[in-house]
Amino acid sequence: MEFRDYYQILGVSKTADAEEIKKSFRKLARKYHPDVSKEEDAAARMSEINEANNVLSDPEKRAAYDALGSRHQAGQDFRPPPDWNSGNEYSGAGMSEAEAQGFSDFFASMFGDAARGAAPRSGRRQGAAGSQQLRGEDHHAKVVISLLDAYNGATRAITLRAARLDESGHVVSDERTLNVNIPKGLKEGQHIRLAGQGSPGFNGGPAGDLFLEIQFAPDARYRVDGRDVIESMPLAPWEAALGATVEMPTPSGTVQVKVPPGSQAGRKLRLKGRGIPGEPAGDLYLEISVVLPPADTDKARSMYEAMARDIPFNPREPASNEMGAGT
Amino acid sequence: MSDIHAVSGILIDETTLTIDEFANACSVEITWVQQRVQDGFLDCTGEVDSWRFASTALVRARRLANIERTFDANPEVSALVVDLLEEVSTLRRQVGTLTSRNAS
Repeated sequence: MEFRDYYQILGVSKTADAEEIKKSFRKLARKYHPDVSKEEDAAARMSEINEANNVLSDPEKRAAYDALGSRHQAGQDFRPPPDWNSGNEYSGAGMSEAEAQGFSDFFASMFGDAARGAAPRSGRRQGAAGSQQLRGEDHHAKVVISLLDAYNGATRAITLRAARLDESGHVVSDERTLNVNIPKGLKEGQHIRLAGQGSPGFNGGPAGDLFLEIQFAPDARYRVDGRDVIESMPLAPWEAALGATVEMPTPSGTVQVKVPPGSQAGRKLRLKGRGIPGEPAGDLYLEISVVLPPADTDKARSMYEAMARDIPFNPREPASNEMGAGT
Repeated sequence: MSDIHAVSGILIDETTLTIDEFANACSVEITWVQQRVQDGFLDCTGEVDSWRFASTALVRARRLANIERTFDANPEVSALVVDLLEEVSTLRRQVGTLTSRNAS
């Protein structure tokens, strides 16, 4: 295993005081915060930064790290002396297990696996070194599904990655694949809880759970609001003006839709219960858009000209616009 | 390693989380959750002694806790940041819809 230079990761000198470390950590945390960062490796960098901060912001861990690490440089081969850490008890600076999940093997060898992931949540960690049985940490992951999966349900192979450092010090992803039944009727942001798929328990305690957060893959045809779905329904001008019965493909299959005469672009037709299934099921809204046929033949041109001549209509005038099929 | 059989889970919202399950899922203490609910930063249903939490609260609570921890932010500032993140996410979705509509 290679030595990790936590000072280098946080961009501070070995003599940096607590305030400098805190400042640098926050600056980097802002840059790589997964909610706002546009950097590709933001999650891996954030994990690295959290790990470095976890050690350097805790005087006990920092002292232990400094004592062992003063003769090492980043990337150098590193083996902690046997039992060097026995008897040390870290009171902890409040690290979440979720953050600690991705900490490196180097960290685990320095401060024990219990500090990395199997111990209970922060604040209850003290005393965890005993023989008490403790539940493993819950894990979280996002799953992207299509809208059709939400309508019909599906089985999806989900690859879960956890960042860690390999023996040469590079960030690598550990992968495991789970086949998960996606029930129908899911809303975006909803969670599926998979019992026992989180971290293993501590001292024989039960494993934590895995929470999968559902996200929908972007689809230009649909917008989703809870269980309601909004789909654009293109109409020819005569269908919108005169009314028609048209065949419309929807997520739950092709339906025949009766378009009332004088339907304006932007108007929505509601198909009750044809949104995402559930209790209650959502509604499907068909948002009308009017598409003009091209005037690219003599006949088409002459028909447009006849309309221009025979229909008094100025879409810039509110009175005319109310009746017409403008956008 | 692949599991051959498909696993099924419980759908949160059909079965909401108790405060203990919710605190576990967010890696926070129960008192942390109680305080955020009382301050109006987190939504739940039910009476005080039987609060239940839904999926949206789970995402929000994890973000709140993360901002508080990372930046030593007080709960009010953290809630403001999370409100803004949620607003940005809504607006991004709307922009995406408008962009795709204009492109089609």
